[in-house]
Amino acid sequence: MRRLIALASVFALVSAADAESQARGAGPAPGAGAPAQGRGRAAGPGYPKFFDSNMPFDARDLAGIWTPNGAGFGGGGRCRDCGDRGFSFEFPVFTPAGQAAFDRNIPSYGRLKDSADAQAHPEEHIGRRRAQSPALGNDTYGTCNPMGMPRALLYPDPVEFMVLPDRILQHFEWGYGLRTIWMDGRKLPSPLDVDIPRWWGYAVGRWEGNTLVVESTGYDERTWIDHFGYPHSDEMVLRERYTRTNYDTIELTMTVTDPKYYAKPWTSETKRMHLLPKTFIQSSGWTGLLEDLCAPANELEFNRLIRDPAGTGKPAETGGRR
Amino acid sequence: MIRSFVSWFAVATMLTVAGASAVSAHHGTLVAYDREKQWTAKATVTEFRYLNPHAQIYFDVKDDKGTVTHWSGELLPNPAQLIATGWTRRRAMDALKAGTAITVTVAPPRAGGNVGLVMRILNDKGEELLGAQPVPAAAPPAAARP
Repeated sequence: MRRLIALASVFALVSAADAESQARGAGPAPGAGAPAQGRGRAAGPGYPKFFDSNMPFDARDLAGIWTPNGAGFGGGGRCRDCGDRGFSFEFPVFTPAGQAAFDRNIPSYGRLKDSADAQAHPEEHIGRRRAQSPALGNDTYGTCNPMGMPRALLYPDPVEFMVLPDRILQHFEWGYGLRTIWMDGRKLPSPLDVDIPRWWGYAVGRWEGNTLVVESTGYDERTWIDHFGYPHSDEMVLRERYTRTNYDTIELTMTVTDPKYYAKPWTSETKRMHLLPKTFIQSSGWTGLLEDLCAPANELEFNRLIRDPAGTGKPAETGGRR
Repeated sequence: MIRSFVSWFAVATMLTVAGASAVSAHHGTLVAYDREKQWTAKATVTEFRYLNPHAQIYFDVKDDKGTVTHWSGELLPNPAQLIATGWTRRRAMDALKAGTAITVTVAPPRAGGNVGLVMRILNDKGEELLGAQPVPAAAPPAAARP
């Protein structure tokens, strides 16, 4: 019962922000977060808050389940101060090759392409105003390929940091993706020397004071930087800076350096994630991350029965499901 | 009495808000449907599937002339969200067995056809099922840039 009430309180805190941001299909509205800047629209932290932020903490211990999700659990939208699903509101500066790659990508997040809504927001880069139905898009995640980085960090679902003596593992709930950040002092390969690009890349980390600095490269260029279809090449180097700013908050800033596709480095806004108790996420009394695996067997059937007929107008199957 | 009220309030709050927080999909499904043209009708469940990436419901709608149209629908909440709001698989499957009379609110596909986004389901007692709720038909105004 206490858990039920706690859950109810959590959901109540995030309702207003989520309702608006999700209607936009793009996470919280720009500038919707950051209560410290006086932009908060509702009382409460906008995320599931179970801890006193002022409790003592080890700034170099990132172990735990962290969520950028407004409801904590997964699905739905990002919390009010966590930043949205996009990498950055700063307009990227593409190279000609980058522009061509950007133009090839057809995302399904953001404002509907050519809609009055899209036309009403010229202040946003066109990447956020060109969404098409998933059936008409070409998001490789639509067939369960891994999200890759940094997109997985921008998806609303929780991520568990598992800290081992020589590495930190990031386990993403949605997709059940696992990324390894090596902390053993190894050197990051030059992207030009990577034999086989990886969906989750090659990553090394080190501490600069109390900030974990992660550099990674060697990414499969079929993944996107974020949900709006911003591309990266196989030469992308991603730098992430994680700083635990209080007991239940990590702040993250990221920079993409990709001379093949971007004429200058592209930097994210500060993103945030918040700590969840280990027991918060549970089903059937079983605690821990859900197995929110994007399984092709599920996804391809869903696409065939729902996504594709909805997006194309072709008749849906009316017989028995297989 | 107080205890039962608290319980009811907690569940009701969760369900209400779940609808709001459940409105985005991992593949950006929202843009495929026109929420400004959503409609509500009585229907009969033919099949309900509690699956990732989204629960699906199949149902028949009979018009005034007795013509039956079969619809396929996706729900915005995925199983993770349904679990979080108390709609376990067993509870959901029990509530939406084949033959169950429901009232559905559907956002039709922009491309036409009979596959919709199911915004809301009521049973024959008028009770909300699965916590899905309508969202604003039109996109709200964007907040100011930071």
